[in-house]
Amino acid sequence: MQYKKKIIENLYRISSPERYTGNEWNSINKDWTSEKLKVALAFPDVYEIGMSHLGLKILYHLINREENMLTERVYAPWQDMEDLMKEEEIPLYTLESYHEIKDFDVLGFTLQYEMSYTNILNMLDLSGLSIYAEERGEDAPLVIAGGSTVFNPEPIADFIDLFFVGEAESFIIEFLNKYQSLKAEGLAKRKILKKLNKISGIYVPSLYSEEYGEKGEIIALNSEEGEKERVKKQVVKNLDQAFYPTEFIVPYRDTVHERVVLEISRGCTRSCRFCAAGMAYRPVRERSVETLMELAEKALKATGYDEISLTSLSTIDYTEAKNLVKKMTERFSDQKISVSLSSLRVDKFSVELAEEVNKVRKTGLTFAPEAGTQRLRDVINKNISEDDIYSAARSAFENGWSKIKLYFMIGLPTETMEDVKAIAEMAQKIKNIGQEVRKNTKKRMRQIEVSVSVSTFVPKVFTPFQWHEMDDVETIIKKHDYLRDNIRGRSFSFSWNDPELSRLEGVIARGDRRLSGVIASAWEKGSRFEGWHECFEPRIWGEAFRENEIQPEEYLRERGEDETFSWEKLDIGIPKSFLLKEYKNAYNEVLIDDCRFADCHGCAICGNFEVDLELVGGRTNELQN
Amino acid sequence: MNYRIKFTKLEDLMYISHLEVIKTLRRIIRRAELPAAFSQGYNPRINLAVGPPLAVGLISRGEYFDLELTEEMEVENLIRDLNAVSPNHLKFLKAAEIPEDIRSLSSLLDTAIYTINFNYTVEKSLEAEKEMLEEFMEQDEIMIIRHRRKKSDREIDLKKRIFSAEITEKNKWKFAVVTGSRGNVRPEELNRALRKIHSEIKEFSPLQVIREGVFVRDGEDFYPPYAEKFIGS
Repeated sequence: MQYKKKIIENLYRISSPERYTGNEWNSINKDWTSEKLKVALAFPDVYEIGMSHLGLKILYHLINREENMLTERVYAPWQDMEDLMKEEEIPLYTLESYHEIKDFDVLGFTLQYEMSYTNILNMLDLSGLSIYAEERGEDAPLVIAGGSTVFNPEPIADFIDLFFVGEAESFIIEFLNKYQSLKAEGLAKRKILKKLNKISGIYVPSLYSEEYGEKGEIIALNSEEGEKERVKKQVVKNLDQAFYPTEFIVPYRDTVHERVVLEISRGCTRSCRFCAAGMAYRPVRERSVETLMELAEKALKATGYDEISLTSLSTIDYTEAKNLVKKMTERFSDQKISVSLSSLRVDKFSVELAEEVNKVRKTGLTFAPEAGTQRLRDVINKNISEDDIYSAARSAFENGWSKIKLYFMIGLPTETMEDVKAIAEMAQKIKNIGQEVRKNTKKRMRQIEVSVSVSTFVPKVFTPFQWHEMDDVETIIKKHDYLRDNIRGRSFSFSWNDPELSRLEGVIARGDRRLSGVIASAWEKGSRFEGWHECFEPRIWGEAFRENEIQPEEYLRERGEDETFSWEKLDIGIPKSFLLKEYKNAYNEVLIDDCRFADCHGCAICGNFEVDLELVGGRTNELQN
Repeated sequence: MNYRIKFTKLEDLMYISHLEVIKTLRRIIRRAELPAAFSQGYNPRINLAVGPPLAVGLISRGEYFDLELTEEMEVENLIRDLNAVSPNHLKFLKAAEIPEDIRSLSSLLDTAIYTINFNYTVEKSLEAEKEMLEEFMEQDEIMIIRHRRKKSDREIDLKKRIFSAEITEKNKWKFAVVTGSRGNVRPEELNRALRKIHSEIKEFSPLQVIREGVFVRDGEDFYPPYAEKFIGS
């Protein structure tokens, strides 16, 4: 069913109605013919967040290219829209054709952060579907999910029919074709799921189970007879040749990223020990400068944007970074197109590169030292020195930036109050450098502003710190209090995360299948949009844990070296032994270099995927020396 | 070279705000690869000026903006190029070259004309509708509470703000009201004011309203902002 008229008639009653109307330039509205497989791509957060997500942009255009398929978008409705939909009996619908979700063959969720899981349940419910996979009938759309938190799928295993592990763009078309033909054969859902589980990278959770010991620890991971024991992550093998869209949808509403987003590379081998993406997205693959220039040209013409953002896990490590930035600014400056960079490292070269793209307007520059002391930076393998940081800051101020944003983490392994104090000292010192530069410059310069943003470290799966315990709330608060008291004054701003929210994220991040019940209870009690600070209610979650007889602390404790983890059903291509060795290296403050520019450390990813690093500038990066 | 361009914003885009329309126009101009002139300064932007805002939730058949180009263009080509890269419900109807010293859209445009298609709880004849309107307009004052976002409510008199009103055919009420810097009238307020004396009119829905356009009032007449008297050719 389509509900366009009813929706349009009522939208004036809610805030931001343009979140729910679609019709953007470049959105694709294909004919609904019976032979097409219909896929709804869902993002479990509001429109303006979801519209900035690169993965969904890629899948949207990739699937719509296929003649026998169509795909449309759906985002989580804000509370006022949810109320309106319930009152007017409007089910969840897609923005292209206003068809309700039940009319689709497949409903695919992208998993971005743990705190959006209740929104997934809410979206299923607003679609008129049961939240539990086993309760959904033969006619219900197949509910699939993938994305960055798929590497621990268990907390939502009860709700999802199957997961895509790894980079879905590399096998989603093959998968959808297979599903379409199995469906055409008239097979029952369970039979279809069993057949789909044969595809590499597909994980059907109902074919697997967990066994728990007396203390709640996992004692066995089981799979049904004939099913693969472990699910191997899938990756795009040649990124330069891989499909990349240029006809991006151009939203009317302000969204997080209103610009052409170009993914210059994927993967990172810096080996920061806290970083989930750094492990999960290996190996490193780069796009060539020629490809990127061509994509930029096409995308600018197709969208009318006035900005290009070069994105990757670490832009500066792209082996042709300087060349690319130079070419882009040369080619597009007469059209007043600006180029922006994401994820800069803290070094002089980053400042130089930023200077190159920001010749005129200098808003703010962000650095992530992550930890205050050299000792702790060595523990996490953040390969930057005190000198790097201060000279980068000085160089930024000297080049005219007046606003610097610093990112740190608290709660990292081995952290003491000394390390916390050092965060405040570093902020102070950077401010002093800025004020000194400002005093001595002949140029006009705004007041120096240093903003310090501190997040709480959450141990993530498939990282060297997956064994580590998480700080308790009192400790987190003590550290926040210290920083708040010592980072104050006109030139500073200080921001931090809600400790309770970080802890909840920690529970789900390393959680197992028993958490499905907790998430369902929290959703039933009205929890939504936990990622939005104002929407998070710890009380609801406390009740949800109690009702399900789950001790959240159990999930935050230190794990034993021999323990089996719930997420070990998946294989990201990096052996546990490597991660454990790295965990020990952390305690010994042993640094390892980036294997792009130094020796291999044996993470085994290249061998496991029969790939070599795809570096367009060759294996030596002059910029690193 | 300056151009004054008329465009529509129809149903699919009715919930797009004024600022979003401006942003969209800039992107359309870029996609059309027009030789647009840019503003000076740190953050150069396409030089573009629009008329009085059209509220979120309304559709219009006649809005305007001024655009500066660095090269002369045939107005037909200008319209063709813009329409080739614009969403279906934002279309460009007409363009006129204008002198540099022409009065701005925001200072010229003072009138909005709305056609409203009211629903009634009981069937009404054309004559009955005409009587309802007459009775409405005969009031000495038409007071209504205006709800303002993030500000306190205020009572205003619509009577002074309505230039003319007529029923053009059955079920079509046409109002010419003040807009722009001298005040404005919202169609929803006309509905509320009417319901005060005619309770058989049903509650307002934005789908019942069409803004026929914005105009420049001169006595009893309404002109488009690129009428000859303003271009002065």
